Amino acid sequence: MGEQAALTALVLAHQRSVYSLALRMLGTRDLAEDLTQEVFMQMNGNLQAIVSNRHLGFWLRQVTSNRAIDQLRRRARLPMASLDEQMQLQLFSPEQDSDPMLQRHLRLLLMELSPPARAVLLLRFQEDLDPTDIAQALDMPLNTVKSHLKRSLESMREKIAGMPSVRYEDNST
Amino acid sequence: MRKHTAALFFILLAPALTWAAPNPRLTFPSFAAVAQKASDSVNITLDPAMLALAAKFLGNDPEDAAAKDVLKGLQGIYIRSYTFDKDSAYQQADIDGVRSQLASPGWNRMMETRSRKNRADVDIYIMVDHNQAIGLALIASEPRQFTIVNIIGAIDLEKLHKLEGQFGIPKIDADQSNPPPAAK
Amino acid sequence: MSKDLESQLRAALRPVAPRKEFTERLVARGAAGQADRRAVRSLAARGIRPLAWWVGASLAASVLLAIGIQQHLEQQRLQRSGLEARREVVEALRMTSQKLNLAYEAVKSQSTSRAAEQSGA
Repeated sequence: MGEQAALTALVLAHQRSVYSLALRMLGTRDLAEDLTQEVFMQMNGNLQAIVSNRHLGFWLRQVTSNRAIDQLRRRARLPMASLDEQMQLQLFSPEQDSDPMLQRHLRLLLMELSPPARAVLLLRFQEDLDPTDIAQALDMPLNTVKSHLKRSLESMREKIAGMPSVRYEDNST
Repeated sequence: MRKHTAALFFILLAPALTWAAPNPRLTFPSFAAVAQKASDSVNITLDPAMLALAAKFLGNDPEDAAAKDVLKGLQGIYIRSYTFDKDSAYQQADIDGVRSQLASPGWNRMMETRSRKNRADVDIYIMVDHNQAIGLALIASEPRQFTIVNIIGAIDLEKLHKLEGQFGIPKIDADQSNPPPAAK
Repeated sequence: MSKDLESQLRAALRPVAPRKEFTERLVARGAAGQADRRAVRSLAARGIRPLAWWVGASLAASVLLAIGIQQHLEQQRLQRSGLEARREVVEALRMTSQKLNLAYEAVKSQSTSRAAEQSGA
């Protein structure tokens, strides 16, 4: 197999993960596509330092999350009045309309979290990383990761409970 | 005197400049019967597309550069040439189909040479439009070969002349040439 | 912590695929990029998620192979035609030049004879 095919295979294997992280961190398709492209371009220049495919997967999530957090921090300093509205439109794209209403609310609530908390939640529930790996990926103390997880879930649970249209019963103890 | 041989073509060409010309493309007969008798046949058909393609594959060495230079402005080169193993294997009548086309308006016989030394007769015809040569026809008859050349396009005869010495053709010593004979 | 909420979150956050056009652009840009080719090959050889790898690799290889073969054949055909056209042009000009030469020689010969006659007279 040639190098181009191998590179294509790497992109195909990881693009969903990178793109989904970017989309749910940044909220719009255009920004997510730009970030995904940047991340894979960066990957091209760093493959020599990658020791395994597991390492590559981890590296891609790490770079995507951190770049997204940086972007959101920069964006917070800029006036972007229409962004929230745009985000909502794109987060509920037609292909996701069949999702249960609760899941739509959860994605919306995710956007209300701070960028680091959002990244923690995404790495935990989208990428299925354990807290230790999340701490390493985001260069964050383990306790901070756990704290983000706990507070974010509690906040979501409270908000969901207050929504009359959501038929969701919290059975937590 | 150096340029007399080359200038000959232009001097002879001058009277023809006022002629208007329709289509410089000759219609070659099939020459099937002739080809059967010939030991060697050359059939070259280079239309504008082929000329453009060929130009892309010509390099920068002197031979290719000269060819590229000549090709500028040309729209077609068509050649039929037949070589035979013995003398008089073909008849002049075989070429009459082409000669009759050259008798039509637009074509002007620029040169008619008969060489005893080479036993070769060469007739050169030119078609001119708006003071520009737009077509050339050449019929060369030798005992064991006849060749018909038809070139379409803005022909630069000086460039064609400069090709002598290229492609393995020995260059004529122009210094020794004398003033050309009067135009026919 | 609610197990239901967690499972709902996992469902809500299932990875989604980007647009097909974007994927094509991404793959094209990746292929044109400055990746360290040995590293790519080595990494690919170590095997990423087996299914994703083989599906992706097979698709990519098929597409690239088809494109590559087509381009190669087209290139070969063009090369052959071009070289043949060049050969014909050189041959055509050689023959034309040769026949023009015959005419020049005849003219030169006539001129020389005439000059000799004039000087003899």
